Amino acid sequence: MSNEVQTKEKVNLDPKYIIKLTVTLFLTCVVVAGLLGLVNKVTEPNITAANKAKTEAAMQQVVADPEGSTFSDALEITEDMNAAAASAGAKVTEAYEVQSGGAPAGYALKIVASGSQGNIEMMVGVDAEGVVTGVSVVKNSETAGIGSKVMANEPTAAGVGVLSQFVGKSAADGTLAVGTNVDAISGATVSSKGVTTGVNAALAVAAVMG
Amino acid sequence: MNLKKQFMEGLLTQNPVLVQVLGMCSTMAITTSFFNGLGMGVAVLVILTLSNVIISLIRKIVPDKIRIAMFIVVIAGFVTMVDLFLQAFVPALAESLGVFIPLIVVNCIILGRAESFSYKNGVAASFFDGIFQGIGYTLVLLVMCIIREFLGAGTFGGGLLGVDGKGIQILPSQFPAGMLTLPVGGFLVLGCLIAAMQWALSKSKK
Repeated sequence: MSNEVQTKEKVNLDPKYIIKLTVTLFLTCVVVAGLLGLVNKVTEPNITAANKAKTEAAMQQVVADPEGSTFSDALEITEDMNAAAASAGAKVTEAYEVQSGGAPAGYALKIVASGSQGNIEMMVGVDAEGVVTGVSVVKNSETAGIGSKVMANEPTAAGVGVLSQFVGKSAADGTLAVGTNVDAISGATVSSKGVTTGVNAALAVAAVMG
Repeated sequence: MNLKKQFMEGLLTQNPVLVQVLGMCSTMAITTSFFNGLGMGVAVLVILTLSNVIISLIRKIVPDKIRIAMFIVVIAGFVTMVDLFLQAFVPALAESLGVFIPLIVVNCIILGRAESFSYKNGVAASFFDGIFQGIGYTLVLLVMCIIREFLGAGTFGGGLLGVDGKGIQILPSQFPAGMLTLPVGGFLVLGCLIAAMQWALSKSKK
């Protein structure tokens, strides 16, 4: 850094020098970009496969019949679905159709809702009758030891797993809310509310999808 | 080239975290479980060694005026490669380190060593500098992980050992102070470690 101190030094405007700088930097970038392209080619299939396996594993956790279920490719998210999720206070990012034994068995929806430390990404399964079949958290940044209890489905005071308690809920239960028809983990109310918002959004989206 | 001196510098007298106070952000953020600390430490070690070697190789042809830009391009290239490899082959680690892998680009340990060491020294010396500074960084991360995990969650080896990789529970779960796994705990532990290091160094000088 000692060179920067002598600011009196004249800026060298010699075109040759400037071209040399530009070309050196440009060539370095080209070489690095080329190498990255190669690495990407090697790793991309693995990354895609790993992401797909993760999504499938998450979906399997939230359907009623994990063994016999198959999942469609990601469905297109329509305006209506976005609006339905937004009205419940969350976002829907991915949607898959669930088939159980060849018959349509509802949807698996990836929902993003805000928790206490950032977004909570969760997979919510809703069956053809609009009843929640399961909730599982895919990604979160909730506080370790507090909000993470909600993410890990630890039991609430009522003795049921905080994520498991949503199974069987449907639009008929009205809007789900912590304190009325949902139990929170003590100390982790904000995280519990985030998950609840996500489930409300999933029910709203599933209702739009029919 | 003085291997023994470089080794002692990396581990103790010029330890990147405790003496040079570089790379604080990642040190605070990821030292919550043993697995994270180990993964981050090794990732930084690999990137630091590779970028040290390359920068030392090209140091004669890099125009002085744009050296920082060149360093960053080289470092960013290696970081992206490591990031892709982790995502492809160790997805669990990639997920738990998350955004801190791409952020290694701006980890000042790597740019700091490029500027202060590998830009001025030969390839072999730069290679060993990367290894030793990387080990110094990893060791501090591991010590912090062990302390924070033990006092904050009562476990050892989180992410690696025990049931579901939750670590081996040593303290009964009602004792630990969860605060230590939060950022405030990172500051407390790091502050104590730096103080202890300074005390030990000043004592050994006398």
